[in-house]
Amino acid sequence: MHKSISYLMFLLLAVLAVSCEKVIHVDLNDAEKRLVIEGVVGNQAGTSKVLVSTTKSFYDGNDFAGISGAIVSVTDEEGVVTSFTETSTGIYEAPSLIGKEGKTYTLLVELEGQTFTAVSTMQQQAMIDTIYVQDDNLFGETRKVVQVQFTDPPGRGNGYRFVQYVNGRKEKEIFIYSDELIDGNTATISLRYDDDDDDATIHSGDTIVVDMFCIEDRIYKYWFSLQQGASGNNWSTPANPVTNIIGGALGYFSAQTVERKTMVAP
Amino acid sequence: MLLGAILLIVHIARAQERFTISGTITAQKTGETIIGATIKAGNTGTTSNEYGFFSLTLPKGTYELEISGVGMQSRKLKVVLNKDMRIPVTLQEASATLDSVTVSASRGRSISSPQMGIERLTVREVSNIPVLFGERDILKTIQLLPGIKSAGDGNSGFYVRGGAADQNLILLDEATVYNASHLLGFFSTFNSDAIKDITVYKGGMPAQYGGRLSSVLDIKMNDGNNKEYGVGGGIGLISAKINVEGPIQKEKSSFLLSARRTYADMFLKLSSDSTINRNTLYFYDLNAKLNYIIGPKDRIYLSGYFGKDVLGAGDIFGIDWGNSTATLRWNHLFSNKLFSNTSLIYSNYNYNINIRDGANNFDIFSQIRDWNLKQEFQWYLNNRNNLRFGLHSTYHIIRPGEVRPSGQSSINPLLLERRYAWENALFASNTWQAGDHINVTYGLRVNTFSILGEGDYYAVDADGKVTDTFHYSSGDFVKTYINAEPRLAISYQFNATASVKASYVRNVQNLHLLSSSTTTSPTDKWIASTNIIKPEIADQVSLGYYKNLAGNRYELTTEAYYKTMQNQVDYRDGADIFTSDPIETQLLFGKGRAYGLETQIKKKSGRLTGWISYTLSKTERKIDGINNNEWYNARQDRTHDISIVASFRLNKKWILSANWVYYTGDAVTFPAGKYQIGDETVYYYTERNGHRMPAYHRLDLGATWIFKPRKKYTSELSFSLYNAYGRENAYTINFRDSKDKPGTTEAVRIALFKFVPSVSYNFKF
Repeated sequence: MHKSISYLMFLLLAVLAVSCEKVIHVDLNDAEKRLVIEGVVGNQAGTSKVLVSTTKSFYDGNDFAGISGAIVSVTDEEGVVTSFTETSTGIYEAPSLIGKEGKTYTLLVELEGQTFTAVSTMQQQAMIDTIYVQDDNLFGETRKVVQVQFTDPPGRGNGYRFVQYVNGRKEKEIFIYSDELIDGNTATISLRYDDDDDDATIHSGDTIVVDMFCIEDRIYKYWFSLQQGASGNNWSTPANPVTNIIGGALGYFSAQTVERKTMVAP
Repeated sequence: MLLGAILLIVHIARAQERFTISGTITAQKTGETIIGATIKAGNTGTTSNEYGFFSLTLPKGTYELEISGVGMQSRKLKVVLNKDMRIPVTLQEASATLDSVTVSASRGRSISSPQMGIERLTVREVSNIPVLFGERDILKTIQLLPGIKSAGDGNSGFYVRGGAADQNLILLDEATVYNASHLLGFFSTFNSDAIKDITVYKGGMPAQYGGRLSSVLDIKMNDGNNKEYGVGGGIGLISAKINVEGPIQKEKSSFLLSARRTYADMFLKLSSDSTINRNTLYFYDLNAKLNYIIGPKDRIYLSGYFGKDVLGAGDIFGIDWGNSTATLRWNHLFSNKLFSNTSLIYSNYNYNINIRDGANNFDIFSQIRDWNLKQEFQWYLNNRNNLRFGLHSTYHIIRPGEVRPSGQSSINPLLLERRYAWENALFASNTWQAGDHINVTYGLRVNTFSILGEGDYYAVDADGKVTDTFHYSSGDFVKTYINAEPRLAISYQFNATASVKASYVRNVQNLHLLSSSTTTSPTDKWIASTNIIKPEIADQVSLGYYKNLAGNRYELTTEAYYKTMQNQVDYRDGADIFTSDPIETQLLFGKGRAYGLETQIKKKSGRLTGWISYTLSKTERKIDGINNNEWYNARQDRTHDISIVASFRLNKKWILSANWVYYTGDAVTFPAGKYQIGDETVYYYTERNGHRMPAYHRLDLGATWIFKPRKKYTSELSFSLYNAYGRENAYTINFRDSKDKPGTTEAVRIALFKFVPSVSYNFKF
């Protein structure tokens, strides 16, 4: 929906203007470093993971080193505390922690005297009925687009996030969906994105992997606001995503289900 | 009571016998009424109103009236005034090639009138200014005036004295135009062929106008030639226009029909690429007007506008949007001193998006619609007092969003609650000649805004969570806001060529436009005040100095203003414009302030005409929940803004023109760092609008070749070059992972229009 407007914008510019793109140098301020926490409690063994890192300067490289030495734990509704152990720099894991649908989890991260907390409830899992590839006729060319069909559980507040891999290459695009318009229905979602790179497009014979995460409404809002305001695209007013972490860190904490489907593009 | 108070202050002079001379001023060839023509009788005088009517009361005697209008040959008229008289005055159009000093190319400012912050243009004087794609556009032309800023490269949106784009009241024959742009802002909805007069009020708005904070753009359509038939038209790079007008009953009634359509989509159709030629992209405008002189005291006008944009991408997305307006007006003369106008006005804006995406077929519809009744009187009480009063009642219906599934669809229908409001205003103002050098306009507008059921209204906490819901039934008054808007303007005239003016104005706005993108979008959302969203209020004081130089050939204007704005609305970070949650949960509120200095020197007559204008200004906002609740620069805060506009009549055949603009880049938010989420780079922001886009500047050149007229047939060929030195002005700057240097990030500037040549042919017969 939001994307459709920007697609039209592109179409318009393509027709009216010879828009030209140039890499330029912009003087940017360097803010004080902020802590970034990306915490997940999954419903499968080995999917519960907390990543701790910091922000860095725009003109530095994209090697986002983790932060060691944090004390990370997750507490469930019964008060059972699971401690996470640092498996490599900034990556904290608890392979035994398997989240359950409908249960609420509390994240606690302590680092250098600072405390960060967040709460998340695992949604009822909507299973993928089927995935398939369909020809999509948008701009300039016909593209293969992955379609995911699933059934949304009745009741508002279910959010979905998809990650697509083509031959092991992760697509950058953020695929999110809310049940606002499809509540309780069987829906088919197009994983459509605008990327002309040849290795980003799907060709016959490509191996396609789709991960589907069922997320809370507010985690949907986190991803939505990230996509709108913090993905570097200045069509809309930039802003930091709306986090559910209390204590001043960036990022999010999500208790979410995961399901993976694999297929070969016809 | 309001009127009574004003009458009390009015000084009624009853010295010697006085008589009134009144009438309507029209153009000789077309019968079009002339707005703002000046009628001078010695030291006193008046100007014709928006229907060409004037009334002047003078002591008994013999006078030589001097009557002049923009682009018209001045005329002298001897009258022996020994009784009340009504005279029709006709002025002759000055031929384009006539090099006469008696013709003023532009209307110019009145030195004596207390009205300040006003800009007036006729289509004639803007017709030679070079524009993008050769599409004459009044909204782009007014952006060249001091204090009025462009919303972006090639954009018809504008900001006035620090106000947002939605704080401009845009009226077409009195009807509000809610979205004045085509194709996401690159063209305005006003087809200049159908337009007679453009007046912009940047400050000191007269009391008959209200409803928006920062400006009034009052556009009047042509009435249609009531003497003979005429056809005009034009063919340009992207659009074609046709204009037909003529009498229905000679000198009594006439019609006008004007249409414009773009044909950029024809180029799409020509493309051999089947995926390109299945895209749609066009807009059209239709202006129509009928008017009928019933008798010496009555005249009626019926005018309408209809415009639409249609955009479609393949079979998947489509959007269309447009305005329609209709105005029925009745002019009536109760006496030669009391002029009345009654208007019934309809205005509508809506958009419809259709999505055909596999199993998800649905439409999204949104609309804002108004019904208005306006009654206004102009009472030319005596030559010292000119009173204007009336009432304006509007019923607003807003349909914020309706999702309608079609065919086989997994989408559920969704109907965002419709909102109803009844807005009323009573207004009165008097222009009083207080002394030989002092003129004062004082007035008051009282605005009431009643929010009507049916519907649910909410209580929302600081985090945007709904804490309570109140249900109202149809006919219930949810809340009524009452606001008094005082208007005061004073002028002091030093001599015939210099004056100083001061004004204070309060404006109230009850309809607010929410825009989440940094560019104009047809889906920007109009919302009405609610129990939570309070009426926006602006107070503006301004001071100005006016000087005519070199025998009125040059005009120097300098104005300074300071404006405060209350109850400003902005989106919360991460707000979702399409959400079905109550809109109040997505909003934040705060205040704004704007101040600046505008100066312009204008050359009004001669072979070379044009102006240089410069604005120095500051615009800030302070919204609770944005930028740590600190003041920050509004996006449209541009420190310096310069325009130079020149038009030179080389000979009988050629008119050359050029304009150059320069302004400080917009205040924007750039990243202060980056981090990683979900294995992708995410940008980190600290202060709002703490950076600047690069400065914007551009030169446009134009040349018009006027062909020798053959009988009635006149025509001209216009060439223009937009952005003649190819400045790559940043339209937006985006940030992304580098494509060439993996493992780094880069800033990317997107520039749009660079050397855009165009040619258009216009004709008339």
